[in-house]
Amino acid sequence: MRALRTAAISAAAIMMIPASTAIAQNVQPIEYTLDNGMKFLLMPRDEQPNIITAGWIAPVGSANERPGITGVSHLLEHLLFKGTDSIGTSDAALDLDYREQLTVIREQMRAYALDIQYKRMYAGEIENPWDPANDTDELREMRAEMTRIQDLQSEITIKNEFDSIYTGNGGSGMNAGTSNDFTIFYINVPSNKLELWAWMESDRLMDPSFRELDSERFVVIEERRQRLEATATGKLGEQFDSMFWVASPYNWPVIGWMSDLMAYTEDEIREYFETYYQPANLVGVIVGDFEVENAKQLIDSYFGRIDNKRPKAAPLVTYSVPLLGEMRYSGECDCQDQVEVRYRSVPFGHPDEAVFDVMADLLNGRTGRLYKALVEEQGIAAGAGASHRSQHYAGSFSFNARPKGATQLAELEEAWYLELDRLKTEPVSDRELQKIKNQQAADTFRGLQDNSSLFFQLAITEGYGSYEYLNEQPKRIAAVTAEDIMRVANEYLKADARAVASYLRKGGTEEVMLTLDDVRASLPEDMVAMVLPGIETGMAEIATATDMAELQSQLEEMDAQKDMVPPQFQTAMKFMKQQIQNRINQLEAGEDSTEQGGDQ
Amino acid sequence: MRSLITTTCAALVFGAGTLASAAINADDIPGHPSALSFEELVFTPPASSDYRHELSNGTPVFLASSKEFPLVTITLSFKGGQYMEPDGQAGLAAMTGAMIRSGGSSLMSPTDLDEEFDFMAANVSVGVGGRSSNATVNCLTSNLDDAFGLFMDMLLKPRFDSERLEVLRGQQLEQIKTRDDDGLQIALREMSFLMWGKEHFEARQSTKASLEAITVEDMQAFHARIFNPSNLMVSVTGDFNQAEMLAFLEEAFQGWESGEASPAVPAPTHAFTPGVYYYEKDQPQVQVLIGHRGVQRDDPNAVQVEVMNQILGGSGFTSRITNSVRTREGLAYTAGSVMRAGTEYPGMFMSYFFTKVATTALATRLVFDEFETIQTETASTEEIETIQNNLIETFPRTFESKGAMMGMFISDERTSRPDDHWSTYRDRVRGVSADAIQQAANDYLHPEDMVILVVGPWEEIKKGNAESEADQARVATMEEFFGGNATEIPQRDPETLEPKN
Repeated sequence: MRALRTAAISAAAIMMIPASTAIAQNVQPIEYTLDNGMKFLLMPRDEQPNIITAGWIAPVGSANERPGITGVSHLLEHLLFKGTDSIGTSDAALDLDYREQLTVIREQMRAYALDIQYKRMYAGEIENPWDPANDTDELREMRAEMTRIQDLQSEITIKNEFDSIYTGNGGSGMNAGTSNDFTIFYINVPSNKLELWAWMESDRLMDPSFRELDSERFVVIEERRQRLEATATGKLGEQFDSMFWVASPYNWPVIGWMSDLMAYTEDEIREYFETYYQPANLVGVIVGDFEVENAKQLIDSYFGRIDNKRPKAAPLVTYSVPLLGEMRYSGECDCQDQVEVRYRSVPFGHPDEAVFDVMADLLNGRTGRLYKALVEEQGIAAGAGASHRSQHYAGSFSFNARPKGATQLAELEEAWYLELDRLKTEPVSDRELQKIKNQQAADTFRGLQDNSSLFFQLAITEGYGSYEYLNEQPKRIAAVTAEDIMRVANEYLKADARAVASYLRKGGTEEVMLTLDDVRASLPEDMVAMVLPGIETGMAEIATATDMAELQSQLEEMDAQKDMVPPQFQTAMKFMKQQIQNRINQLEAGEDSTEQGGDQ
Repeated sequence: MRSLITTTCAALVFGAGTLASAAINADDIPGHPSALSFEELVFTPPASSDYRHELSNGTPVFLASSKEFPLVTITLSFKGGQYMEPDGQAGLAAMTGAMIRSGGSSLMSPTDLDEEFDFMAANVSVGVGGRSSNATVNCLTSNLDDAFGLFMDMLLKPRFDSERLEVLRGQQLEQIKTRDDDGLQIALREMSFLMWGKEHFEARQSTKASLEAITVEDMQAFHARIFNPSNLMVSVTGDFNQAEMLAFLEEAFQGWESGEASPAVPAPTHAFTPGVYYYEKDQPQVQVLIGHRGVQRDDPNAVQVEVMNQILGGSGFTSRITNSVRTREGLAYTAGSVMRAGTEYPGMFMSYFFTKVATTALATRLVFDEFETIQTETASTEEIETIQNNLIETFPRTFESKGAMMGMFISDERTSRPDDHWSTYRDRVRGVSADAIQQAANDYLHPEDMVILVVGPWEEIKKGNAESEADQARVATMEEFFGGNATEIPQRDPETLEPKN
């Protein structure tokens, strides 16, 4: 128990060449570790008076799960708001009794479903073994019994008391989040309520009740529907993720597969909690208007009383295997057509992480390469972007784009590969690189301006290893060179180690017939005058052609050349193909060319 | 304005507190947090007059400096917005805002201007909203001179570059194709149409035709009407010196011709018809919105209505609708209600939840049960105090960041909010009685006059949960609302928003 340092943020802005700035930042919270191993980062800050943002992070997420309990990290996060032995019930002893009865009936229902209902599903009799609509008489009886006990328990339950206490004391923005790698809990409290926070949080870490497990299960299922199943690309994106990650435990969704959501037992949840939510595994963070010594006293008294119940959790064994080929995924949804090309990058804290971040910035934004090339110059995309995300155990780098007008997804993909070639073969200019670094430097300040943003950065970086990342990463960004970018693009962004997802609008696959105006709009301005007369002559020839075989061979030739045509000519090419196909159709139908093509 | 530039190191060190209090013995920790006692938090809300200045032309300027980081933010806020769009030009407001920002300036082409801003790491945004419009520059203090110069040239003399216009128009035309992809987007759009009428600016949507018709001249005219000193208020936050900043702005606005002030916001004339409405969409979860027109901001009962809605559905887990639909029954992840107070005319009350198809009717019934309870029974003292304490104790957050505080002062001045609004707010909240809450529920909630709007597979929704519910008392169908009558909203073409043939 010792304070290592005085908390500080210091910022130094040094003028270099005009309008170019190098900036160093230094974030130094006070570190404070209890005997039970729980660590705290304290960051007093008076810019926002009267308010404290406080919370804690458990470095456990869906990656720590296994098949059968996918999503349990997230459900557990929900259950930690359902009260404790002393919060949420008016009769603790009776409540415990009901909880035990519910555990028994829940186990019975689960055993029955996994046996009888799963067999019915595998036999093709029913689709969903967990859907109450498919209940057998026996199961329906069990369900009614469960409802009966729940109703009894409900009479002594003080609903949402955990929330009400905070609400009535001026708590706001209470929430939590679960990712593949961590689970984080946070709230804003008035600066006189730090002791309340310490009471509430230490209480739920000591004696969580996991009350109302069954109704919360259904809440999470509705959350799954809301986030994934009733969204434009949600369901498909989930499968693409799963495919992309292969062996990595990132290959199942954070919210869990539907089968597992229905199946967890209370024992599974409690074991998971006791393994990963021990004080030695947790980091608390307090940012805002508070007295450090007072906070330390409260931390000692409240969090110091929590014991470690189990041996330290074993680290993850399975790591991700590299992609050995190109993967392709395509699906239809109520969505705008869109394409994503995704590659593996590097884990959080890897020396190349900064290079990927710079590369994504280089491609993004109004002055980024993708907007300039795909949106403005070639006019084939309504939007295009790149993203990079380093997670605890692995990372990914993505290109994504939405087409404009009649552009095909394949053209967007090709345009990306051309941009990627530039990254691999041409060093980025000094000015372009400096621009990214200037923005990154200013953005690090912007990210430290408010309590909650500072809270998240401290908690997440410390959860991953150390908050020192906040001070080191800007330096790594500032050190990225043009050569680094070429090296990383060549090393990681390879054609034989990528995954491509194409999402197409449901029922929108019928081909749009292009017009000469579409062609004109698709061409670079200085090319219009050069290319259009040729196309018009070609159209006239096609309209009067009578040799079917000749037209067919022209089509085949164009198909063969497709990959060699630059993106800005793809629309023109497609237009010509449509014209030829049209003429072939006319000839096949025995229609008279002069009437069809006549323009008088 | 060179003197504004901070070239030295800006370093702030926060001293560790020295208050020593004895650690609490673990045995002394109370068994319930209600036994804890807290020091009183004394908070006096800031008065806008302490931050308000005026330039010689009368432009109000709100200044709040902070030396923590070498960044400065200047926001120019203008009265005027979407409500001023001429008929048939839906989308002009948003397009004008976007084109001022991305269409270049008198000095620079769009590409060069973007390049300059990006190189300086200056974040510049321009937006035309419903009732007001903003232009903001956020940059390193060291770049303020250059960045603000380019910013003002862009704002006063936007180039409206025609190539950028076509790029933007193309993006918008793609965007509107997605308008029927997301159920919630459909629900909010249709609810607005029903409440305000398709032509009122609260509901109005651009179409393929209206977007295609927008010209540079339209945007120039719209720009001139809004972005002039008659409509202007300014706020500055971050690293600057007050006197220097006032002189700087005085000089920067010299010669900016004051135009005509924006007109008043028009009230809607549309009357809506209560009932059940549905929009067909094949999806596993249904979006449900239930509501009618709400309360006006300066209504004498506004604070009672606010407390009432907080109890009903507006305060997260603590509120009744969330408790019933989510916590007790597990029917939804998101459930609650909002009471949006309108400044010029009554806003909208709306309850919302998203649930699986079969339980749409059951959850709707639970919401109507809560309407009835809050109208027929007085709320418990405990429930009321929880909400009052919350509104009072979270009150300082309203003034949490300097940017938000300045934004509020500007909005209050633009809408002529009473001067004592914030200083008396907590007392007004504390004074709300149980009877007043029940009265507000009866005066401002009218379940029989509500619209119930659902987006999903109607034939399934209508049937309810008879097949999957073990408890007969919880079986519900849509037959129980408005005598089983429902109006189908025809499927719309996403680009024209007209019914499909």
